[in-house]
Amino acid sequence: MAGTQNIGETSDNPVAINVVAMVDVIFCLCIFFMCSFHFKQLEGKIESHLPKDRGLDSTPASSIVKDEIRVIMRWDPGSNATLRKVKGHEYAGSDEELIAAICGMRDNYEQEGKTDWPLTIDAEGDVPWEEVIHVMDLCKQNRIERIEFGAPEREIERQAPPA
Amino acid sequence: MAKKLDVQEDITPNLIPMIDIMFLLLLFFMLGADMGQRELEEVRLPLARSVKEDKESKERTSDRLTINIYHVYEKETPCPAYKKGEICREEKHWRIAIKGVDYTNSEELLKRLQLEAQDYRADPNNPKSPCERPVQVRADRQAPYSEVQKAIAMCARAMIYKIECGAARPPDEANAKG
Repeated sequence: MAGTQNIGETSDNPVAINVVAMVDVIFCLCIFFMCSFHFKQLEGKIESHLPKDRGLDSTPASSIVKDEIRVIMRWDPGSNATLRKVKGHEYAGSDEELIAAICGMRDNYEQEGKTDWPLTIDAEGDVPWEEVIHVMDLCKQNRIERIEFGAPEREIERQAPPA
Repeated sequence: MAKKLDVQEDITPNLIPMIDIMFLLLLFFMLGADMGQRELEEVRLPLARSVKEDKESKERTSDRLTINIYHVYEKETPCPAYKKGEICREEKHWRIAIKGVDYTNSEELLKRLQLEAQDYRADPNNPKSPCERPVQVRADRQAPYSEVQKAIAMCARAMIYKIECGAARPPDEANAKG
């Protein structure tokens, strides 16, 4: 009698379909996607710009004395650690010391009304990349936005003078 | 004495809700699976608190080019130092790749970067004019800086100056921000 039967009872579906095979297939697919699934790590970026106007064309770069904060990073195999200092200062023993030296220079520039200065990271090849990123991170946290990477100047191919 | 019931019931479990749930699970995993082009290699990104959320990586139409600097996979070359989380300074263990293609050779990398930069120059007819296309350097945290410097130097030679450094937010903060 209508209204007294449960949903899914055999009387509703006179043609019985064997769903076991389908369940098996779905199980297999589920296992495949579960095994291949990985949660994406939350990624971000730290912006930096390379200098546009130095060592790019055939004219030699003029030796300008730049206003900059240069952070020097060196790998010390003895202590198995990265040594960091701001040019003109002593090596910093901690993040706080390093950032104090950077902020001190920044404050001096701001007092002099200088706004167009970069922070240049001058690291040796042996320094781990995570240490470089750590310094960039500290700078960004302290409102230093213009970060550049230092590199040795390329030798400029000079054209032979016309005969 | 209680009578032993000898009634045999025909128990047929209702499979329909289970199938529904499995379909949902299947849909979730299928949609979550990364079937896209392998632009990102497996790297352990350095952690940084000041990273900006990377919205461009979600956009399919982004113009940004990604340079991956990653350690060779464990199956290919076992490296005890890398496995222990130390810095691997073996130059041969590091690879530079763009869209799944190996560009560890600097000259080949430069050629590729020049090609990629071609359509984004301020003056398209001048190969020495600056390129406005951003490039993300996505390097492993255990990579020596020299590997990253190599990639950055090639970007500079290709007149690409907008460089982004890939980093991940520390786990506690990533969870806090959801």
